[in-house]
Amino acid sequence: MKIRWLGQFLRQIIERPRRRLVIRTGLLLVALIVISWGGWQLWRTYRDTVPLGPQQSVVTSNPKIGVHTRLTDEVEPWKIKQTLAMVREMGAPWIVEYFPWAYAEPSPGRYDWSHHDLVIDHATRQGLTVIARLGFVPEWARPKDSTPLYLDEEHFPDFANFAAAFVKRYAGKVHYVIIWNEPNLSLEWGYQPVSPAKYVAMLRTVYPAIKAANPEIQVLAGALAPTLAPPGSPDGMNDLTFLQAMYDAGAAPYFDLLAIHAYGWYSEPDEAPAADVVNFRRSELLRDLMVQNGDGAKGAMITEGGWNDHPRWTRAVRPGQRIAYTLRAYELAQQEWPWLQAVCLWAFRYPWDAKSYQDYYTFVRTDFEPKPIYLEVQRYAAGGTP
Amino acid sequence: MKQQTGARNLRLIGGGLVLAALIAVAAVLWLAPGTLPFLRIDTTWRTMQANGVWRVGMDPSFPPFETLDDAGQIVGFDVALADAIAAPWGVQVELVPIGFDSLLDALQAGKVDSVLSALPYDERLTKDVAYSAPYFEAGIFLAVRTDSMITETAALANGTIGVEWGSMGDMVGRRLQKATPSLQLKPFDTPTAAITALVDERAVDAILIDHVTLRIAQVQGAPLRTIGPVLESNPFVVAMPVRAHELQAAVAERLLALQNQGVIVDLEATHFQGAP
Repeated sequence: MKIRWLGQFLRQIIERPRRRLVIRTGLLLVALIVISWGGWQLWRTYRDTVPLGPQQSVVTSNPKIGVHTRLTDEVEPWKIKQTLAMVREMGAPWIVEYFPWAYAEPSPGRYDWSHHDLVIDHATRQGLTVIARLGFVPEWARPKDSTPLYLDEEHFPDFANFAAAFVKRYAGKVHYVIIWNEPNLSLEWGYQPVSPAKYVAMLRTVYPAIKAANPEIQVLAGALAPTLAPPGSPDGMNDLTFLQAMYDAGAAPYFDLLAIHAYGWYSEPDEAPAADVVNFRRSELLRDLMVQNGDGAKGAMITEGGWNDHPRWTRAVRPGQRIAYTLRAYELAQQEWPWLQAVCLWAFRYPWDAKSYQDYYTFVRTDFEPKPIYLEVQRYAAGGTP
Repeated sequence: MKQQTGARNLRLIGGGLVLAALIAVAAVLWLAPGTLPFLRIDTTWRTMQANGVWRVGMDPSFPPFETLDDAGQIVGFDVALADAIAAPWGVQVELVPIGFDSLLDALQAGKVDSVLSALPYDERLTKDVAYSAPYFEAGIFLAVRTDSMITETAALANGTIGVEWGSMGDMVGRRLQKATPSLQLKPFDTPTAAITALVDERAVDAILIDHVTLRIAQVQGAPLRTIGPVLESNPFVVAMPVRAHELQAAVAERLLALQNQGVIVDLEATHFQGAP
């Protein structure tokens, strides 16, 4: 009975021209929507797919040349590839790049590696060695209203889990990771009072997890901001004081290399180091502390540093000085610092102009036009004189 | 029955028209804010009028535009320009010293009414702040001696251009050289050395130089003139709150008047004269 009724109903529909027209139009619309959506998805996939290209290698006269790239907020794949290709073409085998925890693990245990994959795949295809800086806490691992640079001790194991997942995923592609950034600055420590002991507690939790996941990984610690902050300053702690306090808190077994930030401000790279001066050779004072604490067998890497040529910033130098100082810094590290493996200067390129002094740290403009400093480093890396 | 239906239709049409008008107004406000200014109130301008004060944010670290004098007062071209802009408004200019990187944050937080501090235009921020027309182009120009026969860039195809090594002028020079390989670049340690090489030593045919340095040199007597348009633009502008449409209009009107009256050129002559 029901089937008969349905048959009659369908016959009525088909027999009525207007209804037939409506049905056909509806079907056509649905088909158009489906085709359009499919086409859109295909076009997006095509647009976003940038071939990795053939395996490249870096040709350079100085194997310690490096830069800190800033691809964290670079969303377009072709720009990521272009950036890394230009690093290689400059003659720099090393890059430091930031891989935010919050981007990769938006909710506990649920990972999205898409952007990190993109950067690491293109970097390794360009023949670059990646030093991965880890940090930036997801919302779920910190109190409400805290900054992404705030991490409680109770969430150190969560950070360790992420770091372990990271080194496991990129085994064979990433060989170096930096744990946190500038923990001697309150700003970088979630606006808490800085604490070498708490930072060491973080290392003590994260280091074994990383090694268990990938024993080949080299773990960098420190990455301290060079600062002359007086004792008790709410802004931060003197980097030399902080490093010694790290050793006092038992940090030595929980890192393999020291990450150093070496900014020259307005002084030349050869200016003698002194405890009350921030300059490029302050790196030697950090190295001395390592040796004094029985850690001299370990190496170090400069993971940030360099000079700025902004016309109005008080810590800037003239553009020509910046070039000369930069070349000399690479040369100094190569010739005189056997304990240093890489000099990664800040910063290769920004995704957009900051319209401030920050723009005058870069080697390449946001539109990829090379600045003279890029061309001069390229000339030097090709065997030219510093 | 027919009358009832007619009345209902009329009500429907009327309601529809009112709804359409409301949607149209909302769309105009959303798509093109500022086209119906009478519907909005400029609280910045009203507060300025009520208090008799125009709070202007400045980073006094960039002479000759703004710097601190021996008495710790902010002085310079931008200070004089702010005074000239506000002269007919009947308000006092209150200078608020703020670090360069915090100027626009202060504006958006309502700590100042405007920023006038050799501030470059930033197209990325036009949704957050409103910019005036440029009052100074600080970008890179090609300059020659005033007695030079060169009147266009093409005439330098086989010439030598002086640049400060590593500067934006150097970058533009390398760009030009790429297009015209016969063009020679001669690097100097400072822009002053490049000017000397052009004016006194006649060692180069032209220089690529930022307009701030060039205007200072011109005001101080160097016989230089620009040729061609700006090659790398860097306009200085006044920043104001997006919703301050009355203030924006007032600043635009004053800048145009000052430009037409030659006041801006006079201010350059006064304040660039003693610049280092």
